[in-house]
Amino acid sequence: MTDHLISIQNLSVEYRSDIETVYAVNNITFSLKKGETFGLVGETGAGKTTTALTIMRLLPEQTGRITGGSIDFDGRSLLDLPESEMRSIRGEQISMIFQDPMTSLNPVMSVEEQIAEAMELHNRDNKTPEDIRKRVDEVLLMVGIPPSRKHDYPHQFSGGMKQRVVIAMALACEPQLLIADEPTTALDVTIQAQVISMIRKLRDRLGTAMIMITHDLGIVAQTCDNVAVMYAGEIIEMGTAEDIYLSSDHHPYTTGLFGSIPNLRSKTSRLTPIAGLMPDPTHLPEGCNFSPRCPLKMEICDRQPPCIYRNGTHLISCHLFEGRENWRKEEA
Amino acid sequence: MKRTEPTTNAVPLLETRNLKKYFKVREGMLHAVDDVNISIPVKKTLGVVGESGCGKSTLGRTILRLLDATEGRILFKGEDILKYKHRKMQEMRKKMQIIFQDPYSSINPRMSVAEIIAEFMLVHRTHRGKMATFQRAAELMDTVGLARRYAGVYPHELDGGRRQRIGIARALSLDPEFIVCDEPVSALDVSIQAQILNLLMDIQEDRGLTYMFITHDLSVVKHISDEIVVMYLGQCVEHASSDELFANPMHPYTKALLSAIPEPDISMRNKEIKIIKGEITSPINPRPGCRFAARCEYAMDICREKTPPLLHQPVSSGKETERHLVACHLFRKGQGKDTL
Repeated sequence: MTDHLISIQNLSVEYRSDIETVYAVNNITFSLKKGETFGLVGETGAGKTTTALTIMRLLPEQTGRITGGSIDFDGRSLLDLPESEMRSIRGEQISMIFQDPMTSLNPVMSVEEQIAEAMELHNRDNKTPEDIRKRVDEVLLMVGIPPSRKHDYPHQFSGGMKQRVVIAMALACEPQLLIADEPTTALDVTIQAQVISMIRKLRDRLGTAMIMITHDLGIVAQTCDNVAVMYAGEIIEMGTAEDIYLSSDHHPYTTGLFGSIPNLRSKTSRLTPIAGLMPDPTHLPEGCNFSPRCPLKMEICDRQPPCIYRNGTHLISCHLFEGRENWRKEEA
Repeated sequence: MKRTEPTTNAVPLLETRNLKKYFKVREGMLHAVDDVNISIPVKKTLGVVGESGCGKSTLGRTILRLLDATEGRILFKGEDILKYKHRKMQEMRKKMQIIFQDPYSSINPRMSVAEIIAEFMLVHRTHRGKMATFQRAAELMDTVGLARRYAGVYPHELDGGRRQRIGIARALSLDPEFIVCDEPVSALDVSIQAQILNLLMDIQEDRGLTYMFITHDLSVVKHISDEIVVMYLGQCVEHASSDELFANPMHPYTKALLSAIPEPDISMRNKEIKIIKGEITSPINPRPGCRFAARCEYAMDICREKTPPLLHQPVSSGKETERHLVACHLFRKGQGKDTL
């Protein structure tokens, strides 16, 4: 498939220390077209951020190890690139917005210097310092900060404004792919609404593809074209937003996730949460990772990891779909 | 002052009257809680929502006298607890407990689970002897769904959900009547959040507890509360029953807040989001007038001059037991009753 901007095949990542090995990402496959927004949903420890860091090649050097798979970005294999070439991609073609705007800015650099920094480093078309300054004003305006504030330092901005600065930095070089790791989790709802609507407008205007990492099913519903649900390092369900939100066929974990959010429209007296906890990533279960918590567990679930079943664009990795109408087993 | 009591319970369990908490800062006075009147009927849950910095946590802490109130009264079953002297307040504290947002920083990492849960009981000597106390601690662990095998482990060995269960067990250890839940599920994952919410609701039913539930998450607050107070910059701007508030929000800030929630429903994708411009302004030396005026699309001249009082408005469901109060000049006419 050549029309994909980025395609991740069978990626596995581990964190190894002397004592134990954490299986953070296990054999995941997904891809994005140009201009597409892809939602990566899951709870803490599902491997969402590890996936993002792997794409950026920012895994901790001492412990993080990619044990298998490939990442193709715009016709190049990211995992085989030397660090020097990767550096020219990072920040220019793929950039990332981190969860916490308070810690992702340099406190002793003014906002202008920080935004300009990325452009100076990736200065391909020999922009003059004058051009760069103009561009800084442009991106600041784009994210809704008056350029008159560009000489201010991060501590002079509020949380929502800081996150705008971070987004301005990420967009300064007009990347093809933007990875947003929980971009609004640290913000208040009204500020979150401002930031989300801004991200949506910018994405439509610039045609940037985006991986939206979040635990909030509401944000995914409002922004994403395609969605993958991660659990214990695996993608357990994937499809278009319609598949995930409208279809009646789901992985039991996805069903549990939806049952755990209080509904604004109807009054239910009790939520239907998922019992138990995420498995220990150093000792994953032998069969399906979700089996210890699954209300629909069968005998086979303890023994054998499930295959992937497909119905059109909708993929689910669960034994329940063996032999079900319209669902076909995917060949590995 | 003419007062309109909710008809179900004559004396609310907890009530504040013109409660104020100001902090002295270099630039002047920070009005964290400014003239707040709330009342919580017995066995009910009052949700307090607002964005960071609106004073909701300060309100909770001032009510428990963890902070000294600047002015006003706090009535517990009709008695003003601000007048209580040290000894009497200490007795009172058994009846009022708090559950914090971050279960890790609110418990002593050098104590085992059983010791943490038993600590308050040992301080207040509620049981004769250590054996009885730890027996009670073990029972509390059953209540909150912590396996007894965790009695000897330390908090760092547990995950966030279990740590929050310790916090809940500890809050229950003195058999309180009133618990302030200060963002108890905000730090937890959704599936764990649902477990803890269900637990809090079960305990409330079993023990007849009254909650004040502080949160910034509107869907959570709708789920758990009977009544909801919306706070903005230290003031209560709207107060209504949970269903009423969501069915018929009146204050422009409440409306914006409700429309800002991203809903897990793709048919709402192109929903017009009412985006309010700007951010919460400084609560230091606020000028008279409505504090939301600077961000409000309906702001009129009067909004910048006079602080709008909290007035009764007609309830959309028409039920007499319900009430709906709004502090906004757009709804001046109302029923003209006194605040609360």
